[in-house]
Amino acid sequence: MLSSLFFLLVNAWLVGAAASADYHERLLLRPLPQDTLLASFNFRSNESAAAFEQQNFGYFPRSFGQILQHAHAKELHLRFSVGRWDAENWGQRPWSGGREGGTGVELWAWLEADTEDEAFARWLKLTNALSGLFCASINFIDATKTIRPVMAFAPEGQHSNASRLHLLHGTLPHEVVCTENLTPFLKLLPCKGKAGISSLLSGHKLFDASFQTMAIDVRPTCEEGSATCALEMEQTVDMVLDLARAKRPKDDPIPRPLPIDQLECDTSKPYNAHDSCYPLNKGTQPAWTLEEVFGRPLKGACPLTGQTGDEADNLCINIPPERTVEVKTSGEVSESRLVADTLRCYKLPTGADVDLVLPEQKMATDLVRPKPGVFAARSINGHGQERGSIQAVISNPSTTEAVEIVYLESLPWFMKPYLHTLRARLDTTAESPIKETYYSPAVDRKRGTHLELRLRIPPASTLTLTYDFDKAILRYTEYPPDANRGFDVAPAVIRVLSPQARDHRGIYVRTTSLLLPLPTPDFSMPYNVIILTSTVMALGFGNIFNLLVRRFVAVDEVPITAAGGIKGRVLDKAYRLKALVLGG
Amino acid sequence: MALFTSILALRHDKRILRLPPYLSALCVIIGIGWLLVLPLDEYSRRTYISENAILPGQVHTYFGGSEHNVFRAYRHEVHGLIDKGVAERSERLSAIFHEQNLKVATQHYNYTVSNRTIANENVYAILQGPRADATEAIVLIGAWKNMADEVNNSGVALVLTLARYFKRWSLWSKDIIFLIPGDSTIGPQAWVDAYHDGHDERYVESLKIKSGALQAAVAVDYPAGPWGHRYDKLHVVYDGINGQLPNLDLFNTAVHISSSQMGVGSVIQRMWDHKDTYKDRLQTMLRGMLSQGLGHATGPHSSFIPYHVDAITLVTVGNGYHDEITLGKTLESLFRSLNNLLEHLHQSFFFYLLLQHKRFVSIGTYLPSAMLIAINFSITAMALWVKSGRSPEPIANPASTQPKNPAFKTPAEKQKDAKTAEEEDEKKEKKDAPPRPTTLIEKNGSQSIHPTASTQISERTLLTPLLLLLTAHTIGLLPLYTFNNWHAPALPALYITTANLTTLLPLIISFLLFWNFPTILTPHTLCLLQSFSLLLLGMFLAALATLNFSLSVIVGSVCVPLSFVRRTRHVGLTAAQMLGLALLNPCMVVQMGTKLLGVSLAQVLVQGAVGWHVWGLWTQVVVWLVWFPAWLVGAVVVASGMWE
Amino acid sequence: MAIDTRQAIDTRQAMDTRHKVLLFGAAAAVRLLLFTVFPALPDLLAGRVDVSTPVTSFKRLQEGVFLYTHNVSPYDGGVYHQAPLLLPLFSLLPNPAHAPLATNVFYTAVDLASAHALAQVADSGFASVTPWFASPRRHLRWSSAAIAAGFLFNPFTIATCLARSTSALTNLAILTAMAKASQGASFTFILAAAFAAYMAMHPILLFPPLTILLYHARTRNSKTTPSVSPFVISHTLGFCTAIAALLTGSAFLTRSWDFLSATYGVRLLLPDLTPNVGLWWYFFIEMFDSFRDFFLAVFWLHAASYMPGLTIRLHKQPLFVACTLTGVFAIFTPYPSIADAALYLSLVPMFRHLFPLMRYTFLASASILYTSFLGPAFYHLWIYAGSGNANFFYAITLVWSLGLSVILGDSLYAALRDELDVERPELRDKEVRRI
Repeated sequence: MLSSLFFLLVNAWLVGAAASADYHERLLLRPLPQDTLLASFNFRSNESAAAFEQQNFGYFPRSFGQILQHAHAKELHLRFSVGRWDAENWGQRPWSGGREGGTGVELWAWLEADTEDEAFARWLKLTNALSGLFCASINFIDATKTIRPVMAFAPEGQHSNASRLHLLHGTLPHEVVCTENLTPFLKLLPCKGKAGISSLLSGHKLFDASFQTMAIDVRPTCEEGSATCALEMEQTVDMVLDLARAKRPKDDPIPRPLPIDQLECDTSKPYNAHDSCYPLNKGTQPAWTLEEVFGRPLKGACPLTGQTGDEADNLCINIPPERTVEVKTSGEVSESRLVADTLRCYKLPTGADVDLVLPEQKMATDLVRPKPGVFAARSINGHGQERGSIQAVISNPSTTEAVEIVYLESLPWFMKPYLHTLRARLDTTAESPIKETYYSPAVDRKRGTHLELRLRIPPASTLTLTYDFDKAILRYTEYPPDANRGFDVAPAVIRVLSPQARDHRGIYVRTTSLLLPLPTPDFSMPYNVIILTSTVMALGFGNIFNLLVRRFVAVDEVPITAAGGIKGRVLDKAYRLKALVLGG
Repeated sequence: MALFTSILALRHDKRILRLPPYLSALCVIIGIGWLLVLPLDEYSRRTYISENAILPGQVHTYFGGSEHNVFRAYRHEVHGLIDKGVAERSERLSAIFHEQNLKVATQHYNYTVSNRTIANENVYAILQGPRADATEAIVLIGAWKNMADEVNNSGVALVLTLARYFKRWSLWSKDIIFLIPGDSTIGPQAWVDAYHDGHDERYVESLKIKSGALQAAVAVDYPAGPWGHRYDKLHVVYDGINGQLPNLDLFNTAVHISSSQMGVGSVIQRMWDHKDTYKDRLQTMLRGMLSQGLGHATGPHSSFIPYHVDAITLVTVGNGYHDEITLGKTLESLFRSLNNLLEHLHQSFFFYLLLQHKRFVSIGTYLPSAMLIAINFSITAMALWVKSGRSPEPIANPASTQPKNPAFKTPAEKQKDAKTAEEEDEKKEKKDAPPRPTTLIEKNGSQSIHPTASTQISERTLLTPLLLLLTAHTIGLLPLYTFNNWHAPALPALYITTANLTTLLPLIISFLLFWNFPTILTPHTLCLLQSFSLLLLGMFLAALATLNFSLSVIVGSVCVPLSFVRRTRHVGLTAAQMLGLALLNPCMVVQMGTKLLGVSLAQVLVQGAVGWHVWGLWTQVVVWLVWFPAWLVGAVVVASGMWE
Repeated sequence: MAIDTRQAIDTRQAMDTRHKVLLFGAAAAVRLLLFTVFPALPDLLAGRVDVSTPVTSFKRLQEGVFLYTHNVSPYDGGVYHQAPLLLPLFSLLPNPAHAPLATNVFYTAVDLASAHALAQVADSGFASVTPWFASPRRHLRWSSAAIAAGFLFNPFTIATCLARSTSALTNLAILTAMAKASQGASFTFILAAAFAAYMAMHPILLFPPLTILLYHARTRNSKTTPSVSPFVISHTLGFCTAIAALLTGSAFLTRSWDFLSATYGVRLLLPDLTPNVGLWWYFFIEMFDSFRDFFLAVFWLHAASYMPGLTIRLHKQPLFVACTLTGVFAIFTPYPSIADAALYLSLVPMFRHLFPLMRYTFLASASILYTSFLGPAFYHLWIYAGSGNANFFYAITLVWSLGLSVILGDSLYAALRDELDVERPELRDKEVRRI
């Protein structure tokens, strides 16, 4: 409890640090249980609205800014994520989920347009441009993957003409995020990963993390009172590194079994001997250094950051006071302890490598690990490729206050939910938790399902949300090459309305994505199917019309004309036609 | 149409009517003979891997070294838990998983089958793959007790060690679930049911944590004590519930890795020393068919297969020089291969008969045998139908409200007309009657059918045989219910009683009918009755052949005599037929089968009940609602000859 | 001749009334019993692809009603493709999830009504005797009670009723139209026919033959033959107005014309490829996109082409034409189900007099019987066991359609042969050949 209080203070402090200097960056390290380490990088740059209009870009990346102007995007949020956050062990999400995306790519933006169609056209422009910029297939976010959320997202910035703004949201759950997305991401930074904390970001470590998310957020900020508005661009990278895996040397990444002499055994075991060794569970915090964990040194501070005030502290580590931290550097580093000493921040020198060394240590107090406000898990029930049901379990751990959330589902069109089967059950009370529902059903090949629910979960109770769905069977050209793997269903987005978020980022939780196996036809069969089906139809048609147009006669009186000869046949046909018309 | 007309022409031929018995006999002979030639090289194929992504045995395995020490330690740990209670056991196992930084949960299950309570606990841990997004998972199973009810000491220890070892790898693109069920057949069923939410909350606890869609499952059975045991070969077990089989690619991968990469020989169907002779191949195939036909669980993997999760069990057998590390390396390599999978296993065969670990017969080759056996019944049914139609009484064409006068007809025409008359009755039947038994089966033959039928076709003689048939199938429900719900200790006694009763039943029935309603058991009726019954039997077996080939063949071949027995006035002949049928009484056959296989009858019955309540086994349904009624009808038809 | 048949009918009816009461009671009992004894059965059947299709499924209907009652347009979505008038009708019934009884009773009543209509058609005797034609085998016939029984106890009918598929309503409309036509009741006939066409679109093809039937009935009732053209024109106009009224009513009900594309559009263009017992779904799954529209047109043309041919050739036996057309619907329409087959197979027994002339009945009925067993098995293998692929089920649908079309063709042959015996009695029971 105490620790979580500290954490809130940390958040408050970090947010409070948002002043009007032009470029800031900060790395916050937080050791997590199970020998993992959370590293959240945060880069923030401001551009005055006026300068932005005149395409006079300072720290704001030109390529990106021009895309925004081209698509009339007033506020934009882009996420690349891999892995999942283990809330039971790791606790509260970084930025309380406000800078996190669902697995794959997630993009939502407020576009300025007069009509819905115009907005959608600009949305397509935006997605295509961004996919080019970030080497991601964002351009596959078409009408079927785009929704217009109603309650789930609120603009973070202050907008002058909110009436003309359209919010569009799209996800690509199957997109595999990798280094080709990281490189352009770093390119947007003023120091381009050459100096400052961004020098730690390397693809190898980032994409070996158990959980990692890259976020780009652009929002207009206006000082209250003054009319001067600025455009704030925030780039965030959060990663949870498995220390054991991360410390492995780059030249030998294979986890070979340790040499026997290095294996630490639990000698208290009766059977402990030279040949049997129960791995010792020391219950200590593992030793690690920045360089080990990130595989490269921290090359001082980025010279473009503000050098004064708490803004200048670009490296913070969030640990109990008793944990010893040793700073190794050729330059001089000023340490400042904040928030009851649970947060230590360092002002990095420019141009000198810096390394943090944490020795292995047995701790009395546990780690700084705040409780999350909401736990959520979602899974598909049933088996077979015909139908199934979705089950989402959302629980409110707080014993005192109820939470109010918005639950957003964006489903592909070939997954057909039945809203009349939607059931929301609370384990504590019988009253329905659903306060408000927004539903726009899917249209085949045109639009996906969009479901938003406003739910209220009483204290210390668990909400179980279920609904049935049918699986459509597609045309064989509509299946991907790996048809038998199934299709990915985008994660559900859960926004916590109350308790209120402390900053403009809001509190969000995202479930994992789901795999939806669809029935598959035989892809090798088009010609056979066409031939066989046509044959059956021809049999029916031929048989019946053969009967209809012919005439019965006794065997012995088959007219000679029918025997042969063009003339005969023609005559015969003519006669038959006559007979037919006159109702023979 | 040309084809049809030729058939039509055939129908006018008188000789064709004498053909059917020979024809069906021929079908049976060919059908059986077909099975016998399958083991030959000409009809079987060498196995091959058709899913390119698997790349079996292409990876270097690193399991070993100090892991061996850890394994020994875990083996001691597991050994220490053998005589502890369930709660303590799962608590300790979860603790070990927890030390390895895995997410752990337990699941309790508590079934009550034939008045015995089966309660135990599953422990499972989920390794969240670093490159995975919780959409796919593969399962590694080490059941606490194996099929022989020995404690799977080294197997469980190996699972624990591998969990610790796998955790260190970065390359898992799927979650890996380590499952330690309380026993080999019921625990896995409870777990997999709960995983797909197909469980009954009253008996089985829901799972606390889940992962993605299960792609494959591998169970390991290595019951060596704390001081180890060097084994000779790996016994690959692959039969699933109700005779469903895993994708052949999984089996091939396991065999390929163990034999080619690790140099461990692999055997199937308990053929410990397979000389690859014709005899051995045939024996293997027949064993495979038997275990497929029975459809019971043959290992922890069996319960996964009905959920379309391909699964196998690796059992260590014999005395040799291979140790746990080899098994561990095999599993590591196998899991690396499964980790490569891009799609759910779908390329290779799902219907196959294995002759040895590297030879198989695919469905296209073996299905005809079952179909031929099924068809022989249909042929006899047709023949009987025609026969019934040609009986002298006007009943032959009851449908016409007034008998039509065959005055001005050529004999051929007469025959044709008679035939068409038969067919029209048949047609009417096809429309409402014969499907009724199916509806009957769907509805578990609710008695409500009777009034309907009686009102429905009140002026038609076809009613009686249909009612009789209906009753026969309804009677089947009785043993089905009792055997699945009777108290375990009393089952054998019950069985003997049923056996005797069923043997006498045909005599009793025919006697009662004969004395009370002598009008009912006209030859015509009996003929129709047998015809319908055989028609149904043939149809069921044909459908069953696609679901569980072996069961269809087994039931089909023991039912063969039914298509040859006839009602005669000759007492000796009747007695002989009765005797033969008495021997082919399902109960008798089952009993003899158990004798031959050397398993206790009580065991089989209890397993059957367990299967019905836990695994969703369908074998009993086939026995009591398809086989038994057909036998009963046949016996009644024959027995009725006695009371002339 | 008309008179003596009528007398015969009267006597038979007198005999049958008792049967009918018994019969209907029993049928209702079976249905309600099944509904109550196996509460899971209806939903199970409603989920079977061969019983309920995307355009008749009860689950989709429930969804539609749910959206309708919550003021979301059910047609602005890919789930509900059924007629708008069903929405208010079913929103009146209590929610079947909690109180299924009302719905069950309703569907049972629908089946009984259909059976009653069928019995009326059978009683009218138009199957074998029309003013312009009398079959030489007209004495061969089953009592209307037996025919109604054939409908009521057909497992396909029962399954449809339990699955609460809306094709039961369509069948009712079609049968009522036939009954009214055979009784010469113009107004009700037009209403019923219009409703059938409004529900399922393709029954509109039944209008011409049934109009002829109506004409025959009029002729028989009032010994005078009404003049053709005013008769046809007036009825066609009436039919069109009825349909227009229904459509405008629906538009008024849903406050938009979207339902046209969502109901008839779906039937025409087949966007939903859910498997069924018909021939279309797999064909259009495997069809190349560039040819999709072409083949859609061809298939519809093919399905429609039977109506004129049959009507012209067999204008003397309109009831047979109508019956055969229902068979065509059961095979060649985009979303057929066993309900359509049930309708056809229950109409065929009216033509008892043709059976002696049919040749392949055994073949066809055996194939239908086998497929009705193997179909579910193969579907299970494909969808649930995952061990078979789509071709298994597809093959079964092929055989099923083939079996039905053989019955169709064979009965047609018999009808023509029967007609021939009237035209040229000397040819009776002689081998004939077609030229």
